[in-house]
Amino acid sequence: MTHDKSAFSRRRFLQGSAAGAGILAAPAIISSKALASSGEVNFIGWAGYPALAEKVFPAFTAATGITVNFKELPDQDTMFAEGKVALEAGGVDMLEPTIDRWGGWNSNGLLGAWDASKLAMDNYLPGLADGSAGERSRDGDKLMYVPSNWGTEALVVNEANAKLSSPASLGDLFNPENPAVLRPHSTLAAMGRWLDATGKLPRPWMDGYTDMAAMTELWDIALAEAIKAKGNVVQWWSGENEANAGFTANGATVGLCWDSTGYNLRKDGYKYIAPAEGAFAWHQGFVLMKNATNVDQAHELAKFVSTPEGSAMWAAAFSSNAVGKGSADFIDPEVAAYYGGTFDDAALAKLWWWPEQSAEFIAKRSEYADKYKAA
Amino acid sequence: MQDLIRRYGTGLTAVFCLLVAFWIIVLVILPNFAMFEQSFRPYLPVVDIGGPKDFYSLANYGKIFDNGFETTILGIPVTMPIHIKTFLDTVFYSAVVTFLTLIFAYPLAYFLAKVAHPKSIPTLLLLLFIPMWVSEALRAFAWYIILTFNGPLNALLKALGIIDQGIRWQNGVFTSYDAIVIVLTYCYVLFMLFPIYTAITSLDTNQIEAAEDLGSPWWRTHWRVVIPHAKPGIASGCVMVFMLSAGSLLVPTVVGSTKANWFPQTIYTWFNDALDWNTGAAYSMIFLLVCIVFVILAMRVFKVKLSDIAK
Repeated sequence: MTHDKSAFSRRRFLQGSAAGAGILAAPAIISSKALASSGEVNFIGWAGYPALAEKVFPAFTAATGITVNFKELPDQDTMFAEGKVALEAGGVDMLEPTIDRWGGWNSNGLLGAWDASKLAMDNYLPGLADGSAGERSRDGDKLMYVPSNWGTEALVVNEANAKLSSPASLGDLFNPENPAVLRPHSTLAAMGRWLDATGKLPRPWMDGYTDMAAMTELWDIALAEAIKAKGNVVQWWSGENEANAGFTANGATVGLCWDSTGYNLRKDGYKYIAPAEGAFAWHQGFVLMKNATNVDQAHELAKFVSTPEGSAMWAAAFSSNAVGKGSADFIDPEVAAYYGGTFDDAALAKLWWWPEQSAEFIAKRSEYADKYKAA
Repeated sequence: MQDLIRRYGTGLTAVFCLLVAFWIIVLVILPNFAMFEQSFRPYLPVVDIGGPKDFYSLANYGKIFDNGFETTILGIPVTMPIHIKTFLDTVFYSAVVTFLTLIFAYPLAYFLAKVAHPKSIPTLLLLLFIPMWVSEALRAFAWYIILTFNGPLNALLKALGIIDQGIRWQNGVFTSYDAIVIVLTYCYVLFMLFPIYTAITSLDTNQIEAAEDLGSPWWRTHWRVVIPHAKPGIASGCVMVFMLSAGSLLVPTVVGSTKANWFPQTIYTWFNDALDWNTGAAYSMIFLLVCIVFVILAMRVFKVKLSDIAK
């Protein structure tokens, strides 16, 4: 209720000042939409990223006059449940799931489509809102999802000692001459994609993500091959520390790791390389509620997060990568140079976005990872 | 109870009882009961919870028998479910850890209780305790560094000319579980030492002297006099070390080789990787029950009663 009240007074204030001397109407001039409905947007996003509320939303409000009513939730299941309630009760305009989740939300009737003409689709870096990611953002020709930030998992290699094919490939992870630091479930996917790329699978690797029978068929093959090649694994990682120690303490020369691992090791002779098959990537972005009341404001926020400065701030809050062109100017130059060195436009266009993985798929995937680990 | 009330008055006694009740009911029984209840329900999307698909079954418990996996036991190739193998490995190597801690702790406990000068005991105990001041996480990580390929152990052995190629200690020289066994033994040896030390302290030294006067060799004195007296201490030490080792998540995660899998890691995977808390709960229940049965059986075999341990 307090939301309604404050929104009402804000609107009255804006109208009053615009109709009167116009001195304080700057926000209304920058965005005339601030007057069209109440100047607020109800946004459900991720808990645990305080920079959003501390830095990004104030900057957004300063630029557009729209206040963000931010509700933090810990995971996407809870966001979905909240969205279900809001479908009846209202009060939610936009949410921030990952790209593999919105399809399920949409089939539950939660989502409305974005109006691309109210956004700036040219703001996005290539490969993030177009290409395969663009296809996966659409339901038919309706734009259902726009990106907010992204990250990758690719090859971290010791420049001096790693034996790399040319160009570097996911197959280099399975070269017996390369001591490797890996995490089980990603490695099986890497094996599958490598076998797929070299034409050694009976059907496309992607089939496994939509059909559980195909999944067991393909993952059985990947598991068998990965177990054969397991001799070079010197360390498993599940977090940053283990990955780092796998290289420094256990002498691994290649690894399939997060971008941050490569970044932290950049001064110790390690490089972060996108494999020829394309780096693994995750993608998170905004969806619009079907019954959103602050539709224009929601578009403003999504658009703000595609601008150079806005996308850089959003990515910084998540310690991930920005979606907007020109965001590099607002990022620490060293970080920008580092990511720029790994992902040129060709590598960006080749990013392999983690497909949707159902609960059943993930449970099965963990079983394969367990077998691989224990072999 | 009468004694408590007489000694501390009604008010304090009530506070004691309430606190103990709170501890046992709210912090132990209720969470375990909640997990027990969850373990029979399927893992469902948020929207289906409480719906027609949400009913009790043993399906989560059955999953431990899924996924046949080819392995060898003592050189004989067998196919067994992957999680059963992990489970057996965990129980077996926890027993190895228990045995090793006993081998280390018993002579030391005897030394502290009967041989060392009483004046030096506080200093010796302090020396033993110092490593315990450091968190288990740090101690495990320190061992990780020691055992790594580029670590100090390999550097030292190379400098001394004992080896010329680095050894991957973490991946195991004898078995894939070497590193886990070493570090668990290091972490939990004191849980074995102190119960045995306390038990031996209560043995009248005259009995040892009497045995010696009657011509008993040292090993028979231990076998017939000291060990029977220390049995409750040995038993409680063994139970503690076994349960702590089998339930350890941190140590296997930090130092485990690329071939080792500890059962708590499997449970962790169900919770945090598969996000299937219900199956994770079922596995926890299985683990708890089987470990309790194992301990009770071991106590039967060694003829120790629960009341002995509580002494």
